Amino acid sequence: MSTRRTFLKLTAAAGLAPAVASAQGAAAGKVVVIGGGYGGAMAARMLKALEAKLDVTLVEPNPVYTSCPFSNSVLANLREIGQQEFRYDGIRRAGVSVAQTSATAIDATARTVTLADGNRLSYDRLVLSPGIDFNWGAVQGYDEAAAQKMPHAWKAGAQTVLLRQQLQAMADGGLVVMSVSANPYRCPPGPYERASLIAYWLKIWKPKSKLLLLDAKDAFSKQRLFQNAWAQLYPGLIEWVPLSKGGKVTSVDPATLTLVTEFGSHKAAVANVIPPQRAGAIAAQAGVADRTGWCPVEPVAFESTLRPGIHVLGDAAIMGAIPKSAFAANAQAKVCAAAIVDLLAGRKPQDPILINTCYSLVAADYGISVAGVYRPDKGQLAEVPGAGGTSPLDVVGGFRGQEAVYAESWFRTVTAETFG
Amino acid sequence: MGRVLLPALASAVLAAGPAGAADVPANGPPGASSCTGCHAPSKLADSAIPRIAGRKAADIETFMREYRSGAWPSSVMGRIAKGFDDQQTQAIAAWFAAQPE
Ligand SMILES: Cc1cc2nc3c(=O)[nH]c(=O)nc-3n(C[C@H](O)[C@H](O)[C@H](O)COP(=O)(O)OP(=O)(O)OC[C@H]3O[C@@H](n4cnc5c(N)ncnc54)[C@H](O)[C@@H]3O)c2cc1C
Ligand code: HEC
Repeated sequence: MSTRRTFLKLTAAAGLAPAVASAQGAAAGKVVVIGGGYGGAMAARMLKALEAKLDVTLVEPNPVYTSCPFSNSVLANLREIGQQEFRYDGIRRAGVSVAQTSATAIDATARTVTLADGNRLSYDRLVLSPGIDFNWGAVQGYDEAAAQKMPHAWKAGAQTVLLRQQLQAMADGGLVVMSVSANPYRCPPGPYERASLIAYWLKIWKPKSKLLLLDAKDAFSKQRLFQNAWAQLYPGLIEWVPLSKGGKVTSVDPATLTLVTEFGSHKAAVANVIPPQRAGAIAAQAGVADRTGWCPVEPVAFESTLRPGIHVLGDAAIMGAIPKSAFAANAQAKVCAAAIVDLLAGRKPQDPILINTCYSLVAADYGISVAGVYRPDKGQLAEVPGAGGTSPLDVVGGFRGQEAVYAESWFRTVTAETFG
Repeated sequence: MGRVLLPALASAVLAAGPAGAADVPANGPPGASSCTGCHAPSKLADSAIPRIAGRKAADIETFMREYRSGAWPSSVMGRIAKGFDDQQTQAIAAWFAAQPE
């Protein structure tokens, strides 16, 4: 009771009269969602669709969301950045209040969120889907200023455009160097899709150029499919250097575009550094990130195991065997929304089943995929044995072309479902 | 604090009750809400992926069984269908069948 009184006082103090009214009246509870990406935007929308009486606020500073999925196609001139952009009008139309600002602090005990615009929101349940932040300095010399010379392009938008401009300005014969982080990071096959599509573009526009792929690991997602396709489509163009052959980049010099590995150094004409990552900073502030920098959750409603009442979705969470993908964030959001409606109604949420599918383009008309089915097992989300796996290695006819078409269909469907 | 709020919420939600009957949330039995990432429950966007909302439950089940056994060729559905048993598939098929075409 005392907690509730504090909660009312706080919202009143923050001048949020409507929130107080809904908390006192007969309507359902109040859910705040932080982060309007694939996880958060879908969760906000699904919560409202499942229970119109819920008071749902989405907190997101950017008026426009720029999608990472298909942003590698922008680098290869196959799409324009505008095709990656989604607004929040559809989400507002669905009855969600959108607070265009960022969350600066979360008090898990008082159940309040402080916003950069000075307001404070109270919640019965909080959903966090803040995506990633970079571990600046983990690769020595790679900080925010360095990213203006050696873009990461691992959050889509200005960085994507910068990397594309650099590629286009490069002389034919210039060396493109990519550096890839160790696991875990956002979108396991993403760097290899990027290498493929840059190679696709180089082959047409800068045929004397090469791409050096420096990797801090010895194996990667869909590896044989990628490597077979590279040998077939881009022979001699992509050189992959694994960890054991000196692939790990330990420092960079942005002034000279030099990348230093344990075995030597490489001077690039264009350098793309995909640095080590962690959950978006607000997660650590809220106390839901552990020492790894990511957020442990239980496998049914994705509630934090560190702070009750806070659900973590998408890239920020440790989701057992499920990779960090937009497909997965979207699937988790729908499961989480249904679970929150149950929890607020005093019902026990059902055990979920989740699917993940990551499509990658190796060329404009050449798609491959990896899929998995997951369910709770011993407190974790585990892969259902016998299901999932990658596209076949040997195929006939138009199989790869068909998967490229399905990839784009998925993108159109999931962005329509999420942003409307 | 949960104790104070929950009873009120519970009755409000149950009265509005989309979930009413068999404890199936409005976004479907386990797994269904992942299918919709590719198979939208309503016509949302141009897509080469076949629509399954509003199709006969028995047809959806037959497809899923044949994808699982490999009798019917597919790019991705074989890998997905193998993650669902007959009972789970049946529940999902019934839910999609009940969605508007
Ligand atoms: C090049 C590339 C290609 C990819 N391709 C694919 C693909 O083909 N398929 C696929 O499934 N996945 C792909 N991914 C992965 C996909 O982008 C992520 O997995 C997905 O975006 C995760 O969703 P999320 O909700 O966790 O985070 P995000 O989508 O990053 O959303 C996080 C949101 O939170 C907001 N935010 C952060 N902090 C705060 C705060 N304090 N207050 C308020 N808001 C905040 C941010 O502004 C952002 O809008 C790709 C990624 C990259 C980099
Ligand atoms: C990653 C995208 C994806 C997901 C997720 C997905 N499907 Fe499919 N589905 C497809 C594609 C693509 C096809 C066409 C066959 C193929 O190539 O696999 C298809 C075909 C089907 C068909 C046959 C329809 C027809 O008329 O031919 C059914 C039924 C089906 N899916 C059911 C499901 C169910 C049920 C789920 C969830 C358990 C699901 N799908 C999840 C992509 C998907």
